[in-house]
Amino acid sequence: MKAGSRQLKPVVLVLVFNICFYAICQTAELQLCKMCTGTVLNGTAVAQFCSSSAGRIDGRCCLKNGTTDDHERIIGLDLSNCSLTRVDYLQGASTSSIIDLSLNPIANISDSAFQGFIDLNYLILPAGLVCPGGNTSWQKVEVKKENRLCEGQNNMCNQTGHMSMDCPENSICAPYGPGFFECSCADNYHGYKCLRQGEFPALQVFGPLGASTIVISFLLWVTQRRKAKSL
Amino acid sequence: MPPSCCGCLSQYTHHHLVAFLLTFFSYVLLHASRKTFSNVKVSISAQWTPSVQNDSAPAFSPEEIWESNCLFADEKQATLFLGALDSIFLFSYAVGLYLSGVIGDRVNLRYVLCFGLCGSAAVEFVFGTLTEWLHIYNIYLYCGLWVLNGLLQSAVWPCVVAVMGNWFGKTGRGFIFGLWSACASVGNILGAFLASSVLKYGYEYAFLVTSVVQFAGGVVVFFGLLTSPKEVGLCLESDTGLCPVETDTDSHRPLMSDEEDEVEVEVYDRRHQSIQHPEEPLAESPKAIGFLQAFCLPGVLPYSLAYACLKLVNYSFFFWLPFYLSNNYGWKEAEADRLSVWYDVGGIIGGTVQGLISDVMGKRSPVLALSLALAMGALVGYSRSPNDQIINAVLLATTGFLIGGPSNMISSAISADLGRQEALRGSQEALATVTGIVDGTGSIGAAAGQYLVSLIESKLGWMCVFYFFVVMTGGSIVFIVPLILREVRAMWRERQTLRHQL
Repeated sequence: MKAGSRQLKPVVLVLVFNICFYAICQTAELQLCKMCTGTVLNGTAVAQFCSSSAGRIDGRCCLKNGTTDDHERIIGLDLSNCSLTRVDYLQGASTSSIIDLSLNPIANISDSAFQGFIDLNYLILPAGLVCPGGNTSWQKVEVKKENRLCEGQNNMCNQTGHMSMDCPENSICAPYGPGFFECSCADNYHGYKCLRQGEFPALQVFGPLGASTIVISFLLWVTQRRKAKSL
Repeated sequence: MPPSCCGCLSQYTHHHLVAFLLTFFSYVLLHASRKTFSNVKVSISAQWTPSVQNDSAPAFSPEEIWESNCLFADEKQATLFLGALDSIFLFSYAVGLYLSGVIGDRVNLRYVLCFGLCGSAAVEFVFGTLTEWLHIYNIYLYCGLWVLNGLLQSAVWPCVVAVMGNWFGKTGRGFIFGLWSACASVGNILGAFLASSVLKYGYEYAFLVTSVVQFAGGVVVFFGLLTSPKEVGLCLESDTGLCPVETDTDSHRPLMSDEEDEVEVEVYDRRHQSIQHPEEPLAESPKAIGFLQAFCLPGVLPYSLAYACLKLVNYSFFFWLPFYLSNNYGWKEAEADRLSVWYDVGGIIGGTVQGLISDVMGKRSPVLALSLALAMGALVGYSRSPNDQIINAVLLATTGFLIGGPSNMISSAISADLGRQEALRGSQEALATVTGIVDGTGSIGAAAGQYLVSLIESKLGWMCVFYFFVVMTGGSIVFIVPLILREVRAMWRERQTLRHQL
């Protein structure tokens, strides 16, 4: 996806896209952080993680500046004791490393709820739920008190086991959240199904072609048609 | 008669060379773009379909890269559609040939040729490049564009044959046309080369490059082509005053100046008393022949039908050979593609050699008949080829020599003969019309053949396909039998008169 938009869309379009994208993201994040009353409590797993990774607590979130840009992103989310019944609106927190959903009456989690949560390494769920992607997607799964802890996301790409994770030709497998993988185009490949390689050298092809067309046309006109009788 | 006229038989000027090369490369570029389409089929069907996964496994993500295009559910359906596009193209090409020949004799050949080349280049650009850039994938749009492409491409062949017929007279026509009709095969090779060298940037660039090159060819033709020696005031050998442009040079030229055609003239006189009389007033501006009138010219109908049978076999080899080789012998696709070039090579040599022989003999149909009779044997032999690439290549080249040769000869040299035959008395413009009729009938045969071959193959197997080819080749002999009898009888009479004179 990134490769495709980078290659094809003009710069302006990308800029506009980015601005909109961030605006939407930020409001979604704010909603996530403010959807429950209170802030991250001291002593919880999220608070400990946040202080150890030098983040800033805002409502129920732990925010931190990204390494590549100034944009602040959610690295930890504590929605503990929040009366949640479903969790299909967490995409704004897809950069989180830690999420706490304990003490919520959640009935079940849809398969795609955590798709794209690449950095998620510590997930606290009510004990009645299974870890997203199944136990094979996590290095360690344990039940402590009333909580289920899903620790250490497994990389789905290098796994030999129940499912073939081979990506099609010209693409590289990359983790894409617990139980998910993504096939992104390999270096220099782009476009639909990663079928295209490199950039077409338009100038090198059409420059000489156009020039030789003009030269040949002129030469032939001079030697052939100049003397031709008009019709 | 001006001294520069008609006396010097082998005086080819640089105008002849340029006319030869321009018409040659016009058709090379056209056939290259046709070959491009058949070589990018795999990429196109990949573009039109979502990626295939086992039922159990989830679809690949991200969806934009792997699943977003769903014109067809799988590649099998896409292949069927591409085959249908081939048939659509061939039928509209056949219809177009009938029309464009008639137009070519009435409008300046250079304009028609240029229009055909540039127009079809533009349509191919829209078909392959623009739809991809704009992400418009629509079956009806594709079909419509391909019908249009067939119609536009059909303008080219009658025009190039007519131009060649204007420049090169009956003497040496067989050889020169044999050499010249290598254009289709050269086009195949060029198309395969162009497609393979830019395909990695995306199939749309294969279309872009071939269509731009074709458009450039159209521009060069527009500025450089002389459609007839008359345009530069030349008048050479068996030019019987049929040039589309009327010039003063032919007004004082007797119409019966064609010594090498005299035997045929006698024959036609004897057989077609009804056709215009030689003592007609000199033609001022040659009028274009009517479509039905051209159909009734001696030889046109038999050769058209014979060519329909022959082009069926020839184009079946063009479309199905790589598939047959990889299917029947289990050879890799690249190997099969490489091997199938030998059929083209045999066709080029066959067309040239047989053209040369027919020039020496002064008669074409006996050479054709002999070659076709041998071809029936060669087809049976080829169908029993052992699983050995070298033996297969040799047999393939032989079959190409015996089938591709006559096929090239009918579509070019004989079409030109028929369009400039003495029965016309130089009063009518018939070259492009006749070529269009012969090639159009042939293309109908070829289009029907694509369907029949796939049908016979799926129901009865490859062996029956080859027997079908044998029957079709026999059919083409049957259609030219009356012409053979006539030509052999004429030869016999000629020899007897010679003996009497001695």
